[in-house]
Parts: sequence; structure tokens; C-alpha cells
Amino acid sequence: MSNGVTETAGSVSMPVLGRWDGGSCPFDTGWRKLMMWVFIVGDGLIFAGFLAAFGFARAMTAEWPDQSQVFHLSLIAFMTFVLISSSATMASAVGCARDGDLAGASKWVFLTLLGGALFLGIQAYEWTTLIGEGARLNHNPWGVPLFGAYFFLITGFHGFHVLTGVIVLATLAWRMSRGVATSGGVELAGLYWHFIDLVWVFVFTCFYLL
Amino acid sequence: MTSGTLDKDTAHGNRVYWTTWGILLLLTLVMVVLDASPLPRVALVLCMLAAMLMKVSFIGLNFMHLRAERLSLVLVVVIGLLVTGSFLYMLILPDAYRILEMNGGG
Repeated sequence: MSNGVTETAGSVSMPVLGRWDGGSCPFDTGWRKLMMWVFIVGDGLIFAGFLAAFGFARAMTAEWPDQSQVFHLSLIAFMTFVLISSSATMASAVGCARDGDLAGASKWVFLTLLGGALFLGIQAYEWTTLIGEGARLNHNPWGVPLFGAYFFLITGFHGFHVLTGVIVLATLAWRMSRGVATSGGVELAGLYWHFIDLVWVFVFTCFYLL
Repeated sequence: MTSGTLDKDTAHGNRVYWTTWGILLLLTLVMVVLDASPLPRVALVLCMLAAMLMKVSFIGLNFMHLRAERLSLVLVVVIGLLVTGSFLYMLILPDAYRILEMNGGG
């Protein structure tokens, strides 16, 4: 083989790998954090697909239910406040962990956990109220069957992510109390939690406001 | 790093986080107020989208620390999510309006 590259049966020498391994550390980050980013982009595209499908259904329907008649916007705005606040507490946790203050980080993680649990509680109340008013996956009192389907699909999928985040944070808090958590672990949990907040920005705007 | 520098860095980091929190709350408040205002539909949608993108940018840059990441990672995330999502929407939306017209609702 030319260019000084050697290749033998069953083994490949370093020069061949050097051409195919993508260079040295193109993203300058550890593999765990990089994999979290890959997950975030992939999961974000699932949400993008749901929201695009919702936009499609909305645009092809002449009369879409007026959200202000269906939802209590003040309650949804409060849910948004809770999630944004929990994102700020999580960012503070990551900041403390980065500076080696795991006791301080533990306090912020606990506050974030409370925020997530409160968000889930309010969402459960919202779902219960709407189901009580007759909203189902295939029909609802506001006329357009797809409205209920998309409501439960999109907010349910997001709520599932919040629930997962709460479980992740609870595990992290437990590991911190045992002194086995690392600052890298806090950062990964933080990335996931901020992603949940980021997705809610889209859901809040596209589903509840527009 | 000395402990004095560390304290200063921590204080600076926390200030950025809580300033971002304040901006996000303010933008949310603006969106809720705009939603109740008698703005024309197109103007309302444009304002909401602008506020939404600003919020997303603040979360990505300051909370998720994309500001401190290498440009290659930022580009992969932004192009992967925002551009792909926008294309997805733009490709299927005209078909929705076509169906609306066919059904006599356009």
C-alpha cells in the first residue's frame, strides 16, 4: 500500500485508522457529554416531528379550538415559571459542582427536584381537569378530535421526560448524599434538565399560545 | 486557581444564570401579555416566534453552556435541531393548506 500505510490480514495499522477516526477530538469534549448531546439532538428531532405534525393538523383544520377557552393560561404560565426556575437552580448546581462544592450543588439539585415534582403535579391536575371535561385521545368537547390527540401526545411525551428527569435527579441526589457523585454526572443531569426546559419553550409557544 | 478567583468565578457564573432566569421570565410575561393583545395574527405569530427563539438561545448558550463549547459542537446541535426542524415544517406545511383548500376551508 502507498503512503507508508500498512495493512495486514486481521489487523490494521495506525496510519489507516488515522485517516478514518475523524481527527483528534473534533468536539473537544468527553464521550459521555458528547453522547448526551447526540441524545439531545435525536430526542429533539422527535419533538420537532411531533410539533411539525401538530402544525400540519392545525393548518389543515379550518376551525381550531380557542386555547384560551380550553386551558387556564395563568396555570400554564405558572408551570412555565416553575420549569424556568428549576432550570436556573440546576444551572447553579452545575456551577457549584464544577467548582468542587458538591454540598452546595446538592442543595440546588434538591430544589430542582422539587421544581420538577411541582411541575408534574400541576400537569396531573391539568390532565385530570381536561379529562373530567370530556377530553379523550379520539374526541373532545371542543369539536376537533385531533386537538385532544395532540394535546395528550405532546404534553404526555414531555411529561414523561420530566418524570424521567425527576428520577435522574433523585438518583443523583442519593449518589451525592453517599459522596459518590461526580461533577461530570451533575453536568450531564443538568444538560438533560435544560433540554426539558428548552422543549417546553416550544410546546408552550406552539401549543398553548399560537 | 486561588480561592479568591474561584469565589469570583462562582459569583460570576451564578449571576449569569440568574440574569438568564430573569430574562426568560420577562420574555414569558411578554408572550402571555401579547397573546391577550389585539395584534394582527401575522404580527402576533412573528413576535411569538422571535420571543421563543430568544428564550431557546438563552437556555442553550447560558444554561447548557454552548457558549463555552467548541464551534463544531455548536454547529452540529444548532443545524441538527433548528435547521432540520424548520425544513421539516416548511416541507409539509404547504400540503396542509392544499388539503384545507380541497375541503373548502381556505
